[in-house]
Amino acid sequence: MSRALRAAAWGALTAMVSVLPASATPTPEAVQVVEGQDTFPHVRHQGLFPLCQGCHLGVAAGDEAAFYPDPASCNGCHNGVGQREVDWTPPVPNAEPDLLSFSHPVHATNVGAAEAQSLECAACHVAPGGTSMAVEALQAERCLACHGDAPELHVVSAPCASCHIPLGTSDLPSERVAQLEVPPDHEGDPFLAREHGRLVQSGANRCATCHVQQQCVACHVDTGLTAIREFQTAGPQLELPPMEARYPVPASHESLGFEREHGPISFEESCSTCHTREDCASCHLPPLPETAAALPARAEVQAPGVDLGEEAPATHASPFFQKDHSSLAASDGADCATCHTTAYCVACHEAPQQPSFHAIDYVASHQADAWSQTTECANCHDTQAFCRSCHIDSGLQSVGRLGRGYHDAEAVWLLRHGQAARQALESCASCHTQRNCLQCHSQLGSFQVSPHRSGFDAQRSWEQSPRTCYACHVGNPLEGGRP
Amino acid sequence: MSPSRLAPFILAFGLLAGGASNAAAQGVRGWAASTVQYVELRPVQQGTAPGDELVEAPDGTVTYQGQRVRCSVGVSCTYYGVGEVEHTMHGAEDVGFTAWGLGMEGLSFTGLVRARARLSGDFTWPRSDDPVDAILAYAQLQRGPWRVRLGRQETLSGLGFSGFDGASVRHEFPSRATIEAYGGRSLARALSEPRNQALTGLVDFLPDQEAWLIGGYASVRLPGQTSVGLRYQREILGDRSGLVSERASLDVSSLWLRPVTLTGAVDADVAFQRIGKSHLTLRYAGPALPVAVELTARRYLPYFELSTVWGFFSPVAYHEVLGRLSWTDGRRSLWAAGGWRVYEETDAPVIFDPLEDDAWQAQAGGTLSLAQSWTLDGEYELLWGAGGFLNSSEATLRYRPADRFGVAVYGTAFQQFEEFRIGEGRTLGGGASLDAELTDRMRFEGGVAVFRHAPGGGQVDEKWNQLRGWSALRIEFGGEPGRAVPRYRR
Repeated sequence: MSRALRAAAWGALTAMVSVLPASATPTPEAVQVVEGQDTFPHVRHQGLFPLCQGCHLGVAAGDEAAFYPDPASCNGCHNGVGQREVDWTPPVPNAEPDLLSFSHPVHATNVGAAEAQSLECAACHVAPGGTSMAVEALQAERCLACHGDAPELHVVSAPCASCHIPLGTSDLPSERVAQLEVPPDHEGDPFLAREHGRLVQSGANRCATCHVQQQCVACHVDTGLTAIREFQTAGPQLELPPMEARYPVPASHESLGFEREHGPISFEESCSTCHTREDCASCHLPPLPETAAALPARAEVQAPGVDLGEEAPATHASPFFQKDHSSLAASDGADCATCHTTAYCVACHEAPQQPSFHAIDYVASHQADAWSQTTECANCHDTQAFCRSCHIDSGLQSVGRLGRGYHDAEAVWLLRHGQAARQALESCASCHTQRNCLQCHSQLGSFQVSPHRSGFDAQRSWEQSPRTCYACHVGNPLEGGRP
Repeated sequence: MSPSRLAPFILAFGLLAGGASNAAAQGVRGWAASTVQYVELRPVQQGTAPGDELVEAPDGTVTYQGQRVRCSVGVSCTYYGVGEVEHTMHGAEDVGFTAWGLGMEGLSFTGLVRARARLSGDFTWPRSDDPVDAILAYAQLQRGPWRVRLGRQETLSGLGFSGFDGASVRHEFPSRATIEAYGGRSLARALSEPRNQALTGLVDFLPDQEAWLIGGYASVRLPGQTSVGLRYQREILGDRSGLVSERASLDVSSLWLRPVTLTGAVDADVAFQRIGKSHLTLRYAGPALPVAVELTARRYLPYFELSTVWGFFSPVAYHEVLGRLSWTDGRRSLWAAGGWRVYEETDAPVIFDPLEDDAWQAQAGGTLSLAQSWTLDGEYELLWGAGGFLNSSEATLRYRPADRFGVAVYGTAFQQFEEFRIGEGRTLGGGASLDAELTDRMRFEGGVAVFRHAPGGGQVDEKWNQLRGWSALRIEFGGEPGRAVPRYRR
């Protein structure tokens, strides 16, 4: 091989190094240089060396020792007499491992033979239209002119194995793996969430150029997938950088009400991509739904899974939810039961002991709230046992004869209390007993004032609870007892 | 503990012993919470004013040592003042657990027991004279879509909570429609004890017999994420001589108008043939906007059992409209609410002018993350109208340097008039609290608050001078399948 050819070959290799990501074990045919600089002025020698093989004799045969001419041969001309002396040294082969897989012999002989034509060095190492010795750094696009699709699709569409060895068989150090260039189409959550799976299924070999199985299982919970199981595993020689699992949220999960509607659309094969059984158990109470129970447990897989923790559903985010959850709970109790036990509800609703629901100063300032019943007190508190008990201790009970001026905002309160009582009878009952009222509102009382409003259905009341009628009436009021 | 209180436990354990070949549970999950609360206050006391020390103002108001005095002909003048400082300390111990793996597939046992004690003090904390309650104690058998519970249990519904000692059977269809039937001995509302036992001494005219409760519930899911729940419930006296209550409720939640959420409810007092509470709420929380808007129309009518005379006193409902607005950007949040209510005509005899029959309310609040670990909460509330007046504000500054530990300081100022009382003055208060996760399964919180009453004219002096303190220690025990992190960890 001529010197020119050898130089051109080195130039090409150098260029490929600049284009391709750095990496791995050199194959016998693969020879690179440290920096892709053509230190030999090819053009100036183009009249002298008509054939590349004249200098680069070993390229076609893959003989690395004969890739470049002996520098001493320059002295034939550059002897200080006819030409000045020169100090040229051939490029030093790169000892750094990379992912490149390139064979000059194949290209120089087999490819050319298969196509029944000679694949000249210039086909790769000279720009289109350039003279045969206008050697320049090889552009990967020239490789792709034969090997792949359009250059802009290089990384994901070209048959990678034509030029690269899989990462799993390389011995790149971890920092080199970390530096592997991320193709533009790999960026963004949609690629991570959806696209990469399709690509793997359409051709895992392509992905294996830069990826190994260990990277799959760093995120995937469902490691039993065929595509993952058959993906190339890195050998012990490969150092992988630390991997951090990332789980983008699919658009479907962000829809309003997803917490409620995900049940019927949950399947083991789809959920187990990101979720472990623990994710389901963070909300679902045992026994877990069938799909949840079928998911791998966190201890069984390498990936951490999404780790849902205990994020509350979106409905719970409202600052008013605590007061307003009753209708949601009552319309679909099974929905609440996904996360909450009866005991959870009862712990608050059954005269709670822990001061968690009301504000710290609520006991001191609850009067107006209790009057308007903005939150129905009786849902959690028994009026007699809770409210009145405390009011008695606070001196707010009614005892004995009424009408001694407690309600001092009204000068003639006793004569005006009827309206207030009908507006908020629960509030009255938090201090007064029934007998207090019956001092007047009873057939046996002082004034026998009827507490019934016009239109009161005495007949129905008698039918429903006659014994209560006797609290005020002597005999059946429908048979002559005074109402 | 009386035999009656032990009955549900005995029943449930008996079922477990008889029905399960292996009574030793393979799994148990539960918690225990120890709570201590302290309060120091000056109770209101009625006193007699010496006639020669009364002061009569030009408007005719009579006071004694600044306190408004009530005088009647032939009766000594009386006033409401404050007594000596009194205190009480109340302790409660809650233990709740669920045990499963009892040798029969789907069988579990749930219990929730609360013990109380007055640890010290001059007066009784509500219910601290009731030493122990079995709030829940039921055995549950879950087989596919069927769920059967036997023992002391509670139903949750639009009618509130109803406890009973008995049985319930529930079936869930594949469409997640649910039907349930239940019945048993009725428990007093919010007391977790048989009615006669719980209410004796508290309620006049208490029937000398127990009441029985039967009820049914059905819920269905419709398109548009719409859920509808319907419940009917009836309580009758043991001798069937009368009703205690007969009620029904309808509850709806829907995303059919997505992104608008609709919730609504209505309940009916069938016995009195009148509609009780109802509300309809539309909530918009735009997916693209950090703003949520709520509009609510509400009606409220109190519910009373037929065994009391209160329901026969013809209470009237009020109608209310509420608007709410909330905004957040993750670091800050603001909310505001306002409403107006008006009462129905009471038909009560009116002497002079009628009382107010409407009221306004307004609230606003917000949360601000000042820096990492620091949060400031504030809230203002104004209630103005029939029955009372409240003008209240409070602010809390929280510091949480770690997930497991946080402290807060709190301040409040409020002014209020009780129902048809005047001159309650202003109260200033403040306090501090802390919470700490001592271990993955143990959490402590506690705090103290002081309130000082600044009297106005003619009111009960220093009535609201209070010192309050509390502490709670919660311990979780056991585990559950598939759970790596304790439930309360956040």
